[in-house]
Order: sequence, then structure tokens, then C-alpha cells
Amino acid sequence: MIRMSTRHILLGLLASGPSHGYDLKRRHDERFPQARPLAYGQVYTTLQRLVRDGLAEVEGTDSDGGPERTMYRTTDEGTHELSRWSGEIAPPAPFVANEIFAKVVVAILSGGDPAGYLNAQRAAHMERMRELTAVKAAKGADLATVLSADYALNHLDADLRWMSTTAARLTTLTAEVDAV
Amino acid sequence: MSRPVPLLSASGLTKAHGRTPALRGASIELHAGEILAVTGASGSGKSTLLHCLAGIVRPDEGSVTYDGRRLEDLPEKRLSELRRTEFGVVFQFGQLIPELTALDNVALPLLLAGTDRARARARAAEWLERFGVRGQEESRPGEMSGGQAQRAALARALVTGPKVVFADEPTGALDSLSGEQVMTALVHTARESGAAVVLITHDAQVAAYADREVQLRDGAVAPLGVTA
Amino acid sequence: MSLLRSDLRLAWELTRGSDRGEWWRLTLTAAGAALATGFALAAVTLASLRGNTDVSVAAGLLDEPGTRSGVIVGLLLLLVPVLGFLGQCARIGAVHRDRRLAGLRLAGATPWQVRRIAALETGLACLLGSAVATVFSVLLLLRLWDRPNVLAWAGIALVAVAVPVLGAVTGALALRRVVASPLGWVRRVGPRGGRGPGLLFLAGILVVAGMALLTVATTSTAAADRPGGGPPLTMMGAVLAVGAGAVWLSGATARATGRILAVRARSAATLIAAERLRDDPWSAARTHAAVLLVTVVGTGFLGIRQVLGDVVRTEEHLAASESYYTTGLDLTGAAIVIAFAITLSGLAVGTAESLATRRRGLTAQAAAGVPRTVLGRALLLETALPLAPAVLLAGLGGMTIGTWYAALSGRPVPWATALVPLAVYAACLLAAATSLPLLRRTLRPGELRYA
Repeated sequence: MIRMSTRHILLGLLASGPSHGYDLKRRHDERFPQARPLAYGQVYTTLQRLVRDGLAEVEGTDSDGGPERTMYRTTDEGTHELSRWSGEIAPPAPFVANEIFAKVVVAILSGGDPAGYLNAQRAAHMERMRELTAVKAAKGADLATVLSADYALNHLDADLRWMSTTAARLTTLTAEVDAV
Repeated sequence: MSRPVPLLSASGLTKAHGRTPALRGASIELHAGEILAVTGASGSGKSTLLHCLAGIVRPDEGSVTYDGRRLEDLPEKRLSELRRTEFGVVFQFGQLIPELTALDNVALPLLLAGTDRARARARAAEWLERFGVRGQEESRPGEMSGGQAQRAALARALVTGPKVVFADEPTGALDSLSGEQVMTALVHTARESGAAVVLITHDAQVAAYADREVQLRDGAVAPLGVTA
Repeated sequence: MSLLRSDLRLAWELTRGSDRGEWWRLTLTAAGAALATGFALAAVTLASLRGNTDVSVAAGLLDEPGTRSGVIVGLLLLLVPVLGFLGQCARIGAVHRDRRLAGLRLAGATPWQVRRIAALETGLACLLGSAVATVFSVLLLLRLWDRPNVLAWAGIALVAVAVPVLGAVTGALALRRVVASPLGWVRRVGPRGGRGPGLLFLAGILVVAGMALLTVATTSTAAADRPGGGPPLTMMGAVLAVGAGAVWLSGATARATGRILAVRARSAATLIAAERLRDDPWSAARTHAAVLLVTVVGTGFLGIRQVLGDVVRTEEHLAASESYYTTGLDLTGAAIVIAFAITLSGLAVGTAESLATRRRGLTAQAAAGVPRTVLGRALLLETALPLAPAVLLAGLGGMTIGTWYAALSGRPVPWATALVPLAVYAACLLAAATSLPLLRRTLRPGELRYA
């Protein structure tokens, strides 16, 4: 999966108007269901870096009866940077770094059980796909949920296919790896 | 604690097409209300297993028990009645009669059960609506998109309130979005009506709609988690 | 020449690798072609006779030009049911064949190449039938007639060549759709309006009619002084008008029956049959038209026969011996029976074909629990429903001919002939029912596997 840039996502959330850290975290988790939830600490460090780089600035503070909160807003430079980033093409798989493949090769090298590993991995993938499908197919699931689940499902499906063909060709792979 | 008695079970099924063996001792259990995916490579015997489970073909050896009845003991007439009343079937395509309108196609099982035409059509219209086939009631299958025709086929399979729905690659001829709509419709209706589903597919994303997966390899059920 | 050879090889390979249905089609087509050749050869040979001659068969019926021309017309009329039969044969495996030839188109064959291959397939089957029929006819002819004249030989050669050529042309013409689009079959959308088959059949009848008129006109001239030329011509015209009407009537009743019953159907079998009729009312028109024609002629003939028999028995002074008349009547009767038999075969072939084409759909229905009895009933109803009003009307037409003839001769109306349409109807249902065992065999789950 392509790593998400938290910087740009926060800039994107700020685009609709000034906001404080807690609010940003809440809106992020809402917009990107099924994604890894943002930690507060990460939100604040990222905001401070944005300010340091001149992409965002402090709007003021707002207590609203509760604890004091710092409001941030995007700068012109930030808006510019955001539009550059969102139009930029994500590099399609620049490096093939596949943990599953690495484990299979290591298993062969160390005389382990690559087939057994692939079976177990496949079962785990299927289980996760069932979970995501259940989330997606639940009555009243909103489109953002469906789309994000779909994204993950398609990637898991790709892994599964790859595992199926690899499992069917393990003998040849073993011979090749051992020969080198 | 004893496990509940399965609604449908098969043990030691073998079946050959001519000299080519399709099933070699497949055993399977399906519980009431359960959605079971049967996956496997092409030629692993998935369709033949479904045909045996649904009483469409008789296995060479082995036994299929549905709700306490052994299917091999039933005459063809009773099997046919069973498929019409307790089972519903959906194939990749071809189960709609091309000359009948969508509404009449869905009403057909009710007509066969002796419901009068007007009532059957009214019920069929409700089911088509449930599956989101609106404004196409009087279209023939050839005039509908693949996804709509398949949803009409699902409506036809479910209109009699079956206990088990057999679906053989129901999304096989559809694009992924239509396939998703068909699967969501199938899963929701099955859950609401408590029907169990046997879902044959080679597509992991379709199999993920099921509660459980069984893999076939060379005509038998592969040990849990073993890839084809 | 090498082009023809490669086409021929392809046609042969395609046929050899095809299923049983294809062999059935070729065999039945050859049989139909043999029948057509046989009838046409007999007609041509008789037409080559000039003036009064002495023919050793048929109690002197063939001696005089007047009666001879009647026999020739009768033989030519026999071609009508044969055409209907051949039309049904052409439909065997049509869907499968269309797809196969469409495959050739996709693989890069030109429209003409596909036409040639299809023409060769049908033409060769017709050639086989025509060759067999010609050989046997010539052998028979040489036994009966020591030295056939040049005209007879020329006629025989013409027929022997014309039958396969016509077969090939029809085979090529039937492919319009496939040739136009490499994708072959078009998605079925709504009821079809095509009257192609009916028109083709009509064209065939018109050709036969033209030939018949020509025959009567040329061979009867020697007997112009006798009042024999007029009434046969009128009869011919009437019969042909009824026949042409029959195609239209059969298609129209099928559609009307379908439309009316589709709305009111209470049972699944009726609903399926009615919708199928509404969808394609012309598919059965050819055979049904032949059935109607036979009904008209049969009913009319029985009426005439009854009246004539009455006349022959009671009249003191006959122009010729009693056997002269009875032989004539018996020959005509035999011809009608043959025509009816061919028509029934066509009907049976048509029903079997309609089953074979739909086997996958039917299997899916059976798998979904639609009882075989319902499917079988729907199959029979498809024949029974549109045929009932059509046969009734045809029977009335035949009765009118009989009654008219009786009135002409001042004899009682032959009411017994009213049974003929009933018998025809029953026979047709039986013919359609012959494919029921096939339905049983057709419903194999193997058909559920994808193509």
C-alpha cells in the first residue's frame, strides 16, 4: 500500500477552515475509516512541523469553556503545496518490497515450511477480507467506508492471487533458490 | 456441548463425468442460515458438488442428507419439488426463460406452486423491488443488463422463501460493481429470511461475503487453509 | 480451384468435428433432397411424354395428356411439404452453426468464404440425396421405358443438378446475419418481427406453382378440345391461394394465440408456451403451413372421392373402365398420405430442433425445480395452441371444396370428411410428442457447465 502523507492530509483538512488538533484527529478518523487512527501526539508534531515550514500558522487560541486549544490555519504556501501534492501522481510500486515473498524465500533458504506459511497467511488474509466485507456490506454503510474497504479488499485479493500462484509453483522456486 | 445437526450434509461424494472424475470423496456440512463459500481452481469439482448437494445430479457414491432426508432415496419428482420449494438456485446465467418478462420469470416458481397469476405477479413485483430491479418488470432478460438479470434471477430463487440457496458463480459474468450489488442483495436477503447459502466461486472477494470457506482440490475438500 | 479445395476441406473438417445434431441435419437434408429429386424427376419424365402414349403403369392414367398433366401437378404439389421439411432441417443446429461460422468470421474469413463454406455443407448433402435418388430413378425408368427420349434425359440431368445447386444457394442465403456481423448472434430483444422464413417458403410455393401452371399449359394443349384443362387449373389456383394464406394464417394465429394467452395464462406451462409463441410466431409457420395445406387438400379430396366413388358406382355409362377412375383416386390419395407423412416428419424434426436449441435453458429450468411435465406440456402446447384454429379453418376450406363438388354433381354433402381435420390435429400432436423422450435426455446437468 502506498504510504499516506499525514502532512498533506492535515493540510487538506485545514483547507475547509481553521481547526484545532483534536478536531483534526476526529475528522481524519471520520473521513478515513478503516485507516490506521491518528495518534494525538502525531497530529501535534505534524502541525508544529507545518508551522515551521511555513505551510500553516497559528490562528489563535480558543478555550470554549474547556481546556485551551490552539487553532491552526493554512497559509498560501500551504494551499499551493496541497494542490501540487494532490495532483502529483503516486509512483506505481517503485520498489518491490513484499514481506510475504521475503518470508517464503527465507523459509526456503532456512529449510522451513514455505507451503505451511503460505497456507496460514492465506487463511489470515481470507479472515481479514471477510471482516472488511462484513463492514462494507453492513446495512447503512456510507460510501467512504465502502470505498476504503474496497481498496483494502482489492489489495488483499491481489496478495491472495499471488500466494495461490506461488504455492502452485513452490517446487520450481525451491529448486531455483537452492541452486543459487 | 454437542454441535447442532447440520441442515444439509454430504459425505464421501464421488462423481465422474464419463471417465473424468469430478468428485473424489467430498464431504461437507451446511448449517441453517449459514453462508458457505466453496472455492477452488477450475476443474476442482465445485459445480459438480453443488449439483449433487442440490439434488440436480445423483452422486456415484456417497450420501447427501437434507433436513433428515437422504436425497438419494427420493424419486426425481420429489427432488424436483424439493428444488422448487426448499431450495433456490442461481447460476452464472441462463436460469431466466428468455421469452418471459422479468416479472413472469420471478412469478414462475409461485405459479408452479399453484398460486394464482395475479397474486404471483404481485409477490414477484415486491421481490424485484427488494432487489432494486425497478421499471424493468416487463422487460425480457435480453433487454436487461447482466447485473439486473442476475438480480432478477436472485429474486426468482428467493421468492418461494427457500431454506437453502445454491449460487454457482452468480457474479461470474458481471463487472465488479454489478457483482458487488448482486452479492450484497444476496447476503442481505439470506440474512433476513434465514436462508443458508452455498456459494460457488473462484473469486476470493466474492468468497469473502461468506461466513466460512471450504476449498476443493481434485474433487475433495482440502484441509483448512490449504491453497489450491 | 485451390480456393474451392481449401473451402471444401474446411467445410469437411467442420462437419466431421461437429456433434450428432449436425449429422442429423445432413442426413435429413439428404433425405429431403432425395425426395424432392424423386418427385421432380417423375414429373419431368412424365412431362417429356408427348401426345397419347402407352404407359404400362397406373391403369392408363398416364396415357393421355390431360390426366397426365394432373399427375404432374400432383407430383409438383408434393414438393411443397418436402420444402417445408427441408426448411425444418435447415434449422437443426442453426444456433450452433451460426456461432461456428461466426467464429470463422472472427478468425478472419471473408463474408464470401463463410457463404461458400455454408453453401458447400448444405450443397453436398443435397448432392448426395439427389445422386442417390437420380441413380435409382434412372434404373427404374430404364425398366419401364426402353428408350427414353432426349427431352427426358435433359430433364433428368437438369433436376439432378438443380437440387444441390438450389440447396447450396439456400444454405448461403440463410446466413445473412452471421455474414453481416462476425459476432453472429444478436442479443434477443423483444418479439421478433422477421417473416423471412415464411417469405422463403412462399417463394418456394410460387416457384412450384409457376412450374405447375406451365406444365398444365404445355402438356394439355394436345387435349384442348376436352374440358379437362379448366377445372384442374382453377383447383390448383384455389389450393395455392389457400396454401399461401396458410403461412400467413399460421404465423398470425400463433402470434394472436400467444398474445391473448400470455395475459390470461393461469398455469406455468401455458404461460411459457404463450410467451414463446408471441416471441417468435413465424418459427413454426413453415411446417404448420404445410399441415394446413395437407388438411385443405386432404379434406377436399376425401369429399371429392366420396362423391366420385358414388358416381362411378351408380353411373351406367362411364367414359373409361372403373379401375381408371379408382386408380386415379387411389394415386391422389397415396400422394396426399405421403405429403402428410413428410409434413409430420417435418413437424417432429422442428419440435426436436426447438428442444435441442434450448437445451441449456431447459436444463437450468429443470435444475431450478420446474417439473419435466410442465416443460413437456409447454412444448406440446406450443404446437397445439396455434394449430387448433388454423386446422379448423383449413378443415372448413376443405369441406367447402367437397361440398361445392357434391353440389356440382348433385350428390349428398360428404359430412364424414369433417373427421379429417380432427385426425390431422391428433396426428400433429403425436408427431410433436415424439420429442418428449428427447426432452428427458436433454435435461442433463452437463448442460449447466459454461460453454
